[in-house]
Amino acid sequence: MNRKLSLVSLLLILMLLLAACGGNNNTKDSSNGSNSTAGQSNSNGSSAKSDVKLTFLNSKSEIQTQLEDAVKVYQAETGVEIEIISTGNGQSPFEKASQLYAAGNPATILMLDPADVPSFEERILDLSNEKWVADAVENSTTVVNGKVLDFPLAVEGFSFIYNQEVLDEAVGGTFDPATITTRDELKALFEKIVAIGKQPIHISPMDWSLGAHFLNGLYANQSTDMNEVVGFIDQLKAGSADLANDTVFNGLIDTFDLMMEYNNVKDQPLAAVYEQGPEDIASGEVGLWFMGNWAWPNIKEFNEEGQFGFLPVPISNNPDDYGNTQIATSITKRLVIDAEKSSAEQQEAAKQFLNWIVYEPSGQNFLINEANIVPAFNGMELQPQDPLAQSIQSYMANGKTTVGLNILPADHWSNVGASMQKYLAKSGDRANLAKEIEDYWKKVK
Amino acid sequence: MITEKGLWHRIKTRLLFTGPTTFIFTTVVLIPFLYGIFLTFTDWDGIATSYNFVNFDNYATVFQDTAFWQSFARTLKYVFSSVIFINVVAFSLAYILTRRRKSNIYRTGFFLPNLVGGIVLGFIWQFIFNHMIVNAGKYFGISLFESTWLADPDRALWALVIVTVWQYAGYMMVIYISGLMNVPKDVMEAAEIDGAIGWRRMKNVVLPLMVPAFSVCIFLSLQRAFLVYEVNLSLTSGGPFKSTELVSMFIYNKAFLARDYGVGQAEAFVLFIIVAIITLLQVYFTKKMEVES
Repeated sequence: MNRKLSLVSLLLILMLLLAACGGNNNTKDSSNGSNSTAGQSNSNGSSAKSDVKLTFLNSKSEIQTQLEDAVKVYQAETGVEIEIISTGNGQSPFEKASQLYAAGNPATILMLDPADVPSFEERILDLSNEKWVADAVENSTTVVNGKVLDFPLAVEGFSFIYNQEVLDEAVGGTFDPATITTRDELKALFEKIVAIGKQPIHISPMDWSLGAHFLNGLYANQSTDMNEVVGFIDQLKAGSADLANDTVFNGLIDTFDLMMEYNNVKDQPLAAVYEQGPEDIASGEVGLWFMGNWAWPNIKEFNEEGQFGFLPVPISNNPDDYGNTQIATSITKRLVIDAEKSSAEQQEAAKQFLNWIVYEPSGQNFLINEANIVPAFNGMELQPQDPLAQSIQSYMANGKTTVGLNILPADHWSNVGASMQKYLAKSGDRANLAKEIEDYWKKVK
Repeated sequence: MITEKGLWHRIKTRLLFTGPTTFIFTTVVLIPFLYGIFLTFTDWDGIATSYNFVNFDNYATVFQDTAFWQSFARTLKYVFSSVIFINVVAFSLAYILTRRRKSNIYRTGFFLPNLVGGIVLGFIWQFIFNHMIVNAGKYFGISLFESTWLADPDRALWALVIVTVWQYAGYMMVIYISGLMNVPKDVMEAAEIDGAIGWRRMKNVVLPLMVPAFSVCIFLSLQRAFLVYEVNLSLTSGGPFKSTELVSMFIYNKAFLARDYGVGQAEAFVLFIIVAIITLLQVYFTKKMEVES
């Protein structure tokens, strides 16, 4: 009798389990149904209810705490609770987002890299009718089949970051970044820094920095015409580009040789961790560091008062060559709203949150003052206070920018970054580096 | 007792005991496994809602992908050294600890690393390799330790082996201890009376009787070393320049970073076949070596 009872109870548990799974499917279907009807409601309406809870996938780990503070402010203002989830250490946003989708539990708002956005087209909301689309700077959104798919979160720039104090001392006076336009001038600057007993430069050996950012110049500096850049990449894919005899490649690597020679960690170039960079540049131990403006929160921890700015990476001895007076900028992080699993209320609230960032004082305060992001919107009242953001804006205002490419394949940085690390550690020569980059591109589909 | 009842009753009893596990095994292992094999015949990128069938193209890619086989060769090197060192260290520890009284504190101590998760372990050892060993090396002037092993492509794999040995030796030690304690006292006494002591007794009496323990330990360490991922990720994340990118990480990156889900799955399936063959062979041969006391 007892055994029968336990058997029955076991079956009951199993059935409950199955029912629970099935139940989920039902609610999903019904919420999907309501999406299509309510999805067209006007985005400007203040329909956000206090019982709506959103999730936000953050892939910009350096603003994690600022973001957490911002959503608390947002909750206090609107009653909408937003939970921040973040990508793991070294995990790409695409990895995390596709995992969340595979688990059937995507975040309402996902922060993706620009190149990822088109692959999510079928799963995310069309944002074409949002107010901020008109205010976004040119070419800052991803448009697929006539639909605006993403919200441009941040303009980022990367090049040499310099410590004004160190360089002032080195040149004996006020250092002007416009004076460095050729490799020889850069070398002379390095020598001057050595002369005052400091180290000229720190190279962060991370694959993403070397692969995605330093080697960006190889493609972007080919031409001011984007079509020629794309053409160069097509040649690489076809295997017809000859890197060993490419002027830009050789110029870029000549500069890299110079950087390696004056690297403050050249005894063990691969042992340095990211955290050493902000410390070295902020404390004035080195004069230059190849990195981007996202490092400002890290630099600020060591030296809030110091003056810093960007210096172009010269790739030749002709000051007029493209790239010698420009720094690379791109709109690096995009916010998209899930349309597959999120309810109509959640989608509406998510749209409101994006509007809050652009149009509300507290939202702008988060974006510009707290997170130190250079906004991709025109006509914002607040201006960035941090020196790196200001430096980028001044380069942008003068039209002195190259493109931080977002058309490179997703595993580009990881593979060519490894090749650059090999070159940095002197485990491979220039011919080997050229060959490895060519080989990588031949495998790209 | 079961045989006395009818067929339906037997099925019911079986279902009671094996039903829940079978259900869970089917849903979380069997179905994903079969679905994964199905995906190897597609060109899915991991996120698109539709995909095309490509027949055996992915498998052809796998066999032509030199990077995959390089990574596999690296993994073999890692597995071979890990398995040997884990078992040598574990057996030595077990042997020493069964010969002395009041060894519980040591047993617990050696077992503890196994309770620390792989990711945490990796970060702890990253700190040890990058800072403590380097500083100690500089202080004592030992050139081998003056630069961090993790940044050296020749030594980073050994750093990985060291951490793996440290992690699993304690676990295998527990199995060896139980093996050693189960060697019958009368056999040992008989051996002693016959004049077999020390290494002779170890070689001719203890080791043959311990074969089941070896069989289990080698199987476990083989399988775990082949599929290592989290220590690899948190200690070196494949670096420097992919010189420690073991095959699991390679496959993961193929599927999720390069977004070649089909090829990644196909590589995973090839790895599964190879690991299955190697471990089955190992179990078959060690089983043949087992003796009765």
